[in-house]
Amino acid sequence: IQSNGQQLEAVAVETASAEPNPLSVFRTSEQDPTYHSEGHTGQYYMLPPAHIQKLFPYGLPPRFQLQIKTFNEGCVMVRPPALELISYLKRADYSKPPLRYVLYGDIGTGKTMSLCHALHYCYTQGWLIVHIPDAHLWVKNCKELLPSSSRPSRFDQPIQASQWLKNFKITNERFLSKLKTTQRYVWTKRESTEKGQPLGELIDQGVNRMKSSSDVVGAVLRELRLQAGGATEGEGAFKLAVAVDGVNALWGKTSLKKEDRTMCEPEELTLIHNLRKMMKNNWAPVMICCACCIDLLKGLNIFALVLFPPPYLFMPSVFQEGFDSMEPFVPVSVSNYNEKEFESCYLYYLDRNWLQHPHSRSEEGKKELIFLCNKNPSILERLCAAL
Amino acid sequence: MAASVRHLLKPWTPSLCFARWSRYNPYYLDPDPSKDARVPDSELSPEQKELQELKTVRPIKAALSSDTSSPFNDPLISKFINMMMQDGNKILARGIMTQTLETIKRKQVEKYHRSPAAKRLEIECNPYTIFQKALENCKPIIGLASVQKGGKSYQVPVPLTDNRRRFLAMKWLITECRDNKHRRTHMYEKLSQELLAAFANEGNVVKRKHDLHKMAEANRAYAHYRWW
Repeated sequence: IQSNGQQLEAVAVETASAEPNPLSVFRTSEQDPTYHSEGHTGQYYMLPPAHIQKLFPYGLPPRFQLQIKTFNEGCVMVRPPALELISYLKRADYSKPPLRYVLYGDIGTGKTMSLCHALHYCYTQGWLIVHIPDAHLWVKNCKELLPSSSRPSRFDQPIQASQWLKNFKITNERFLSKLKTTQRYVWTKRESTEKGQPLGELIDQGVNRMKSSSDVVGAVLRELRLQAGGATEGEGAFKLAVAVDGVNALWGKTSLKKEDRTMCEPEELTLIHNLRKMMKNNWAPVMICCACCIDLLKGLNIFALVLFPPPYLFMPSVFQEGFDSMEPFVPVSVSNYNEKEFESCYLYYLDRNWLQHPHSRSEEGKKELIFLCNKNPSILERLCAAL
Repeated sequence: MAASVRHLLKPWTPSLCFARWSRYNPYYLDPDPSKDARVPDSELSPEQKELQELKTVRPIKAALSSDTSSPFNDPLISKFINMMMQDGNKILARGIMTQTLETIKRKQVEKYHRSPAAKRLEIECNPYTIFQKALENCKPIIGLASVQKGGKSYQVPVPLTDNRRRFLAMKWLITECRDNKHRRTHMYEKLSQELLAAFANEGNVVKRKHDLHKMAEANRAYAHYRWW
C-alpha cells in the first residue's frame, strides 16, 4: 500500500483530467464521511489515497486491499449500519462515561467495512484512533510467547505488540509530540521513561526494545485513558476512538500453549488484559468504543466450524463472559445487501470493468448472481472475481 | 419397428473392453445441458430437424454432475479442471481454476486501469478469452508418431485430431507448471503466468510446441512411412 499511494495519485490525476466523468448513479462526490446521510445509501464514495496510507496501513480486509490495488482506487459503499454508527458518534454526550457499540452480523455482511467507514469519519474529525485490526491475530498462531518482564504470571507477545505500535505511530503522528506521560515507567534496571516525556518516545522505546513492547502497549493505553478525559484546555483536548475488530477473541479460548503444554487463558496475555481494561466503561469520558464481532446470538455457524477447529470456537463461554463485561452496549446489526445496494455494487463492478463474462452482463446473469450469493457482499465479491 | 429398436437396445458389451472407456450402448445420445433459446422449426435445416426428432425418441445418457445448464458453464474449462484433478479431488482443482481466472483478470484489469485511455482498447481483460486464445497458441498442428520399420523405429510426422491437440496443449501447460516452476509459488500463480505468456506467444509451452514442429519438419523424409 505504501508504494501504491504515489502511483494511485498520479494516475488518478491523469484520468480526472482526461475524462470528466458525469456522476453515475452509484457514486457520490461527497468524500467527507461527516456529510454522508441517508440520501447517500447504496452509493460509493472514494477514500482519498493519502488517508488510506495513513489510517489503514493494516486495518482493511485483505480482499479489499487487493481490490484497491486492482481498481486503482478505494471505494467504499455507504450503508445504513455505518451511517447509524456515525450518527451516534455525532450526537453522543461526551461528558458521560463512554458508550460501546457492537457491530454484529453474519459472516461476510460488511462489519469490518462499516467499522472502517466510521473510523474514516473519526480521522477526518481529528480524533485519536486506537484500532486493533483483528484481535484474533493476537490470540492464535503467535510465534513467540515470552514470560512477562513485569509480572510473573503473564505472557508477552513481542512481535504483535511492536507491529501494533508501529502502525499506531503511523496513524496518530500528530498527537505523539503533544501528549506527555504522567508517570515514570521502569523497563529494566537501566532503562526507564521519565515523567513528562512525549508519547512518541514511549512508542519508540517499545518498537526498539521488543522485549518490553507489550508492557509499552499497556502503558500507552493507560496514558490515553488518563489523559483523554481530563483535558478541557484548548491544546491538550482530543477525542479518542477505540475500535477492536473481532472482539470475541478477547474472551474466548486461545490456541496458544505455555511451556508445560497447558492452554493459555486470554487473561494471562498482557495485550489482551490491557485491551479488556480499555473496553470497560468505568473510566473518564470523551472516549467511545466501537467493536466488531461474529454474531454472538447465532453461536456456532457452519462456516466457522469448517474454517476453525471446534475447540477454538468455544462459543458458550464467550457468550457469557463477554456479554457480561460488554454490557451495556448499543448493538448495530449488519446484514446482506438490499436490492438497491446490490444494484449499486453490480453497476460499480461493471464500471470498473470487473464483470467480464458476457452472460454476467445480461439480465439473466444478474438474476443468477443474486440467487447464488443471496446478496451477501463477500460471496458476491468472490463470485464476480472468477467471472 | 419395435422389434428392431429392441434389437438395438439389447444388453450390449463392447467386443474390446478398454479400461477407461464408457460402457454405454452406442445407441444412446449425448446430453446437451445448455438452455439455448429453442430455434423455431422453420429455421432448422433438414439435418438439424432430424437431430431434434432423434432427441425426442432415442434414449439419452445421464448428464454429469459437473455440468450445469447455466451459460457460465464452459466445456473447455471443465475439461481442463478434470485434467488438473488429482486423486479425484475435484473441489481443489475447481478452486485452483477459479483462482487462476481471478489472478489473470486482476493482472489485466490493473494494467487496464493504470494505462492511458489510448492503450486501453488493446488490453484484453476477459479471462475466458485469454484462456481460449492461450490454449489455441499452445496447440501443435502436427505431431510425431513412432513407427517401426526394418528393426529400427523412426519418428514419423503425423496429423493430429482436434481432441488430441487439445489434450496435448492442456497436458503441456499442466506439466510445465507442476515441474519447471519455483517450488514455493501457488499453482494458480504459476498457471496464470504461463497462460498470460502463451496468450502473447511467449513462454515455455509455446516453445515446446515450436520444438515439436521443428522435429516434425526435420523428419519430413520419413513421412511416407505412415500408412494411415
